[in-house]
Amino acid sequence: MTAMLRYLRLYFALARYGLAREMTFRWNFLIKLFVEVLWLFILLAFYETVFTKTSNVAGWTKSEYMFFVGCYFALGGFIEAFFLSNCSEFADLIRTGDLDFFLLKPIDEQFLVSCREIDWSSAANVLMGAGVMGLAYRQMALPFTWGRFAVFVLLFGCGIAIAYSLLLFLTSTGVWFKRNQSLYELWWLFTSLMRYPREIFAGRWAYPLGWFFTYLVPVLLVVNLPARTMVKLFDEPVLIGFTVAVSVVLLAASRMFFRYALRRYRSASS
Amino acid sequence: MKPANIEDFPLGGARFQCAAPAGPSSQPPGSAVLRGLRKYSKILRVSLIERMTYRGDFFLSTILRFLPMVTTILLWQAIYEGAEGSDKQPVRLSGYDLHAMIAYLLLVHISRMFSSMPGLAAGITRDIREGTLKKYLLQPIDMIAYLVSYRAAHKVAYIVTSSLPYALLFFLCRGYFDHFPSGETLALYLLSLLLGFLVGFFFEASIGMVGFWFLEVTSFLYIVNTVNFFISGQMFPLDLLPPFWAALLRALPFRYLAYFPAAVFLGRITGSDLLYGLLAEAAWVLFFIMLSRWLYRLGLRRYSAYGG
Repeated sequence: MTAMLRYLRLYFALARYGLAREMTFRWNFLIKLFVEVLWLFILLAFYETVFTKTSNVAGWTKSEYMFFVGCYFALGGFIEAFFLSNCSEFADLIRTGDLDFFLLKPIDEQFLVSCREIDWSSAANVLMGAGVMGLAYRQMALPFTWGRFAVFVLLFGCGIAIAYSLLLFLTSTGVWFKRNQSLYELWWLFTSLMRYPREIFAGRWAYPLGWFFTYLVPVLLVVNLPARTMVKLFDEPVLIGFTVAVSVVLLAASRMFFRYALRRYRSASS
Repeated sequence: MKPANIEDFPLGGARFQCAAPAGPSSQPPGSAVLRGLRKYSKILRVSLIERMTYRGDFFLSTILRFLPMVTTILLWQAIYEGAEGSDKQPVRLSGYDLHAMIAYLLLVHISRMFSSMPGLAAGITRDIREGTLKKYLLQPIDMIAYLVSYRAAHKVAYIVTSSLPYALLFFLCRGYFDHFPSGETLALYLLSLLLGFLVGFFFEASIGMVGFWFLEVTSFLYIVNTVNFFISGQMFPLDLLPPFWAALLRALPFRYLAYFPAAVFLGRITGSDLLYGLLAEAAWVLFFIMLSRWLYRLGLRRYSAYGG
């Protein structure tokens, strides 16, 4: 318990330091924020245009789909704000040998490597995504129940856990691939799998692919399950259970893999 | 989160973007024009060798790029299925059937192979800010001409190394291409791609020149690239937009960076539209050449060569 409190205090201090630093370059911060808003508008314009041509995509109506987009934006923003920039620096830490300084500190290495800084401009995406979800939900005029909302929050958390674990796996491989400089790009390519509803994986060759990315590398569960639970019928209780279980397993497995990778680290240039 | 590589690609990072020009070598005999040509072809060769150093990494990231292509195809299949409704009649959205749409989205990649200029404007601004721009002023070399040959080499190397995976992709997706264009169309397509390279280059170079007045243009560039992603037609053909917006975007130069070549290939733009389109493209090239030259000249008057 005291350890937990200590990490909370530490995290709070890091977050405050990060915010102060970000505020030193206010204009830069505002422009980054503006680009995020712009990107959200482009996404919405894309789907607005698509939905002038059709009334549903893979069984999702416009409002349902917009809810999905909001969910993706919020979840993606969360990962980007809290973990992605930290993880992308890992390859540099290894190449320069600066990881040594991290290992020497009396703080958990995974915490220090993956949660060190907060990218505040991306944190705004969580709010923007929530806004889109709220608007889309209002348009559907569904009866709101707290029970359903609680399951949504739980699955949103599981989605974050799964995405974080997969990101940590990807980051850890940096110990072996020395030129793994573009984690941002790898992550962007990889997340193209969680940007769309799972139902689009239909057909001869796509179905097995969808199965693979649901059960073996469960990236398709990340945004799909929370969004689906909130706006559609609870028709897949087994899958919900699976998602909760798999997020716990992946968190543990990715931590083990990260620690295994650290043991393979040979401090460079020192 | 927006595409991390919204300005393009696995060119292996911006580290080499503005490598110093090779030092003056022994003067070969011949006329000034020939000398100039030789000089810039040397730069082309050196840059080509440099690119090939990282071919393994390069090949890997090119393969990874196909993942979003798969999901895009699946998304559009779902969109068309939704539009067909229950009667399963094949539909056309703004004149594109499913095959044409997917072919378009594949062809956009080819357009971007030519027109994207990762790190160009940022490189120019960095040279201005750090004072390294003077290397161009001290040597008998023109900065813009140097950068054109440097960039052309990178494009050639990129197209050569990625032609294999792209050939595989287009082979796998050959079913989406219903008609192969005629030789004439193909020639005009190639022309539109080459002009697209020039539009992309001089547009971005012009933005880079703004660095003479503002020390930091990367954030501005970031905004431009984000908007560009949409208005150049990389997400879908511009024809899908409401008439007003479609007409507006057709009048802007950005469509030549992605939409125009792809639409030419698919035979969506023909006859006088094609002719005027190509003329307008050439006019935009000229406009941006003049703009970048003018800004460069104007900027050099203000330039104070910081940092020894």
